[in-house]
Formats: sequence, structure tokens, C-alpha cells
Amino acid sequence: MTHPLLSLRAVSKTFHSGGREVKAVDNVSFDVAEGECLAVVGESGSGKSTIANMILGIYPQTLGEIAFKGAALPGRRDLAHRRAIQLVQQNPLSSLNPRRTIGASLRLALDVHGIGEKAGRAERTGQLLEEVGLPADFRTRPPAALSGGQRQRVAIARALACQSELVVLDEPTSALDVLVQARVLKLLADLRKSRGLTYLFITHDLSVVRNIADRVAVFEKGRLVEIGPTASVFEAPTHAYTRRLISAVPVVTVAEAALRQRLTEDADAHA
Amino acid sequence: MNTLRIRDLTLGFKGWSGTVEVLHGISLHIGRGERVALVGESGSGKSVTARIVLGLLQSLRSTRLSGLVEFEGRDLSKLSERERHALRGTKMSMIFQDPTSSLNPVYPILTQFHEVLRRADPAINLTGARARAEKALADVSITDPSRALDSYPFQLSGGMNQRVMIAMALANDPSLLIADEPGTALDVTVQAQTLRLMREQVERHGTSVLFISHNLGVVREFADRVYVIYKGRIAEQGPTAALFEDPRHPYTRALLDAVPRITGDGIPEIEDASDAYFAPTEVHEGYGEPEGAA
Repeated sequence: MTHPLLSLRAVSKTFHSGGREVKAVDNVSFDVAEGECLAVVGESGSGKSTIANMILGIYPQTLGEIAFKGAALPGRRDLAHRRAIQLVQQNPLSSLNPRRTIGASLRLALDVHGIGEKAGRAERTGQLLEEVGLPADFRTRPPAALSGGQRQRVAIARALACQSELVVLDEPTSALDVLVQARVLKLLADLRKSRGLTYLFITHDLSVVRNIADRVAVFEKGRLVEIGPTASVFEAPTHAYTRRLISAVPVVTVAEAALRQRLTEDADAHA
Repeated sequence: MNTLRIRDLTLGFKGWSGTVEVLHGISLHIGRGERVALVGESGSGKSVTARIVLGLLQSLRSTRLSGLVEFEGRDLSKLSERERHALRGTKMSMIFQDPTSSLNPVYPILTQFHEVLRRADPAINLTGARARAEKALADVSITDPSRALDSYPFQLSGGMNQRVMIAMALANDPSLLIADEPGTALDVTVQAQTLRLMREQVERHGTSVLFISHNLGVVREFADRVYVIYKGRIAEQGPTAALFEDPRHPYTRALLDAVPRITGDGIPEIEDASDAYFAPTEVHEGYGEPEGAA
């Protein structure tokens, strides 16, 4: 049997704050298959970012096991793991060094992980930019000279620079306006296809992942309340919390309004 | 009389390398008690329009302004800086995108509420302010107003702070409320609650609203009328329902396509920039600008 790319088994995380114990993630298990896009959805405080941080090795889990390609991930990650699992954050302005040119930021990722021949790396940064739909000569610019959407493309290019396998996308489009968001989502979908990437897509807005995720995992207060194929989670959610999340999404078409109406009625029938 | 009337407004910023034109002659109006949305992407000129209405750009030396901005029949350009200042926080008020960063972190809510109330009633003391603030917070469904008033903004959740902002913005019964992407910094669930609450409150107060957003989906349930703005020009204007059923301008259609659907219709292909986006303004029948002498 082949192993899933990522697997969480009975993972919990407890924080201590002011003498109180806060269970941020409570006994969570799920798998992410290779090439899959799994959406992790919930409100603030649902534990979705804590899960991302544990997968990235920013802090260890309190209980349970996180395995990558069938082998348990150690608390302290070695370089190979850090290369394989990459992060794209919400705000590209704060995740790119303002004093470095775009090219230098990309180059750093290549240097740290020793990707390719030294002599070819400068040229490689240009290719990376072109792969995310930016002109190669953006290399010489600082982040401040780019728009929000362009900066997010650079952050994506950096995550791809070191031949990553799993990309954790933490609200990658929520700082962008809807037009730019649509274009970045398109780019992410295309890159996943062409490079065979695996995504863990974290968001509070369910509608964003409707067209990009294969499966959706819904979290409430640290617990996994529902997980399933995207279409069935949206059309026949089993959990009241999921219905509430879908109903909160602003809709524009008649078909959407009808779906939302039906979910609201279901919720009333269950109440 | 309209609460707000803007006619042929142009704006440019003068810099080292010449003047950058930001608004190319936009016209819009908001009737009494009407909720009007101004929708466009970043850089379209929607937020500068709000700043002009508030009178914040007029005194800036680098701005080049022309056209008419009339608030309750008074031409803003004929008012002094002092008179414009007197309007802010009393007759017009504003709600910002991120409630937590627009409240002052070093003062409790009560102190800030007192300051707001003093704009309209300089004689009000802390006890009087407390009584009025408690009532205003109860109106926005804050269950323990007294405790909220004694809290600092960082002790409250984003949703609570947003409600405090709404209560403050409406405390002096303004005739115009400008809401700049309220709630976009919050969870969708909290955003939906906030919008419902805001709608209830402005209906009760009879406040006119200029609602600014980049997401057409968000304005659908809030606004009576919509103006779509693209690169400093109005692309389309009309009643909300008609605009959603029959979007006529290529840019409006692109904006609509960009809103992610919960029914799942694939990721849309959206053109970055298109000459079609500069097509002339589409005006839905009967929803043009009122005529009349300035």
C-alpha cells in the first residue's frame, strides 16, 4: 500500500496561557494524498493555523503523530523536510523582506537548499517569476514596487523554488480583492496540475475553495467536525456548523441563493 | 434634497514626474436614507472618493480637484477647513476595514466613546457619556455593554470591535455614514452578522450610506443602488437587483465572475486589463444622475 503524502493521527495541541489550558487542536486525524488539494476551513479559533504550524514544524504537537510519506516527522526538522513542505502566508508584504529585491529573496531559497548549479541560479529566479506570470526583470525590484497580487505571486514562486512537494497555503488570497483573488486561484490550480503539487489550503471563507479543493475538512474549536469531497460538503453538509459557514458566504447568482436557502431550511428542520 | 451629490469630480495628485490622474470625472448621488455602494478593485478610486467627501483631501497641497461635491445642499469647496472639520464625526462618520486597528489601543472603549459624543455635545460628562454609550452598545447586540465600555480594544474580539465602531459611527446620528470595506478583515461569518446589524441600524436611524467594497457579493444584500467604478470612471450604475440580473458593462461582468461561487462553476478566466473595461458608462433606465443647477 502506498502511504498518503501527509497523515495526522490523533494530533492534539494544548497551549498554556495565564494558568489556563487551551486545547487549540483536539484529537485530529486526517490524510492528504499525493497530488490532492485538501481545504482546511474554520473561523478564527478553530485551530486551522495551529494545524498548519505543527505540519510546518514551527512547534511540535502535544499528542499524536504527524507523518510525511509514511515516516513520522521529527519535532526538529532537517533541511530536507523544510524543503519538501513550504508555506505561503496571507500577507505577502510581511513575508517578503522589504530590504531585499525579489530576485534576492528567491535566490536565498535556492542557496539555502542548494538547488541547481550556483552559476545558473540568477537565471533560475527569472524563470520562476515567469512561471507565476510575472516578467523576469521583476528580479531587480523591491517588494514595495509590486502590487498585492504580484507580491503574492512572488511568495508562491518562492515556495516552488526548492521543488517542494506539499505547499501549505494559509489564507493566500484573503488580503486580495476579488479580481486578483480569482487570478491567483487560477494560477494555483494550474501550478498544481503542471507540477503535481499537493496543497493544504487554509481559509475561513468556504467559497474560495469550492473550485480548487478535492476535499474539505471543517474545523470548529479545534475539532474536526466534517470531512468529505468538496461537492458533497457544499451540497449536503452533515454538520450544522458547516451549514452556518456556507450560509455566511455572500452570493451573486440565483443558483447560489437557492442552495443557501435550502441549507437554511435544512438547518431549521434539524433545530 | 440629496444627502450627497457629486458631479464631474476629477482628482489628480501632483508629484515629481507630473500629475497622476486618479478620478476622471465621476458623478454620483445618495438620496436621504438611501444605501449606495461604490464597487471596484484596488486603485479604482473608491477610497479617495470617500476621503474627498470627508473633506480630507481638499487641504492637501498636492491634490488637483475639480467638480462639485455637495453635502446636504452645501458645496464642500466653499466651506472653510474649520467648517469641514465640524462636519466630520457629527453629520458624517466613517467605519473602517479593520476595527481593531482603528480604535486606540491605549484607551478603554468608554474614553473613546466619550470623545465621539463630545464632538456633537461638548458639555457631555463621563456619566452622561456612559449612559448613552451603554444604550448604543445594547442596540448593536452587545450583551454586557458596561463591561465592554471598561475594556480596551485588544480585550475584545474583532467582531465586537466592529460593533463598537458601528455604534460609535451612529452615536451622533449622522446623516451620512461612509463604510469602507467593513468587516473584510474578519471571518465571513462575523462579516455577515456585522452587515446585517449595520443594515438594521441604518434603517432605524434613517442614515444614508456610502458603502465601499471590492466584492459585488457583499453589497448585494446591503445596497439599494450600485455604482461600479473602474480606474476613476463609473462603469455602470443602477439598482442592485437589476445590476445582478442584467450586468451590462464588461467590467461589471468581470467583477461578478470573480466572486467565488458556492455552487462551483470552475475557476473563471479573468482578463487582467481590457480595453472593453473602458467602455462608456452603462446607466440602467431611470437611474441616471439628477439634473439641476449646482
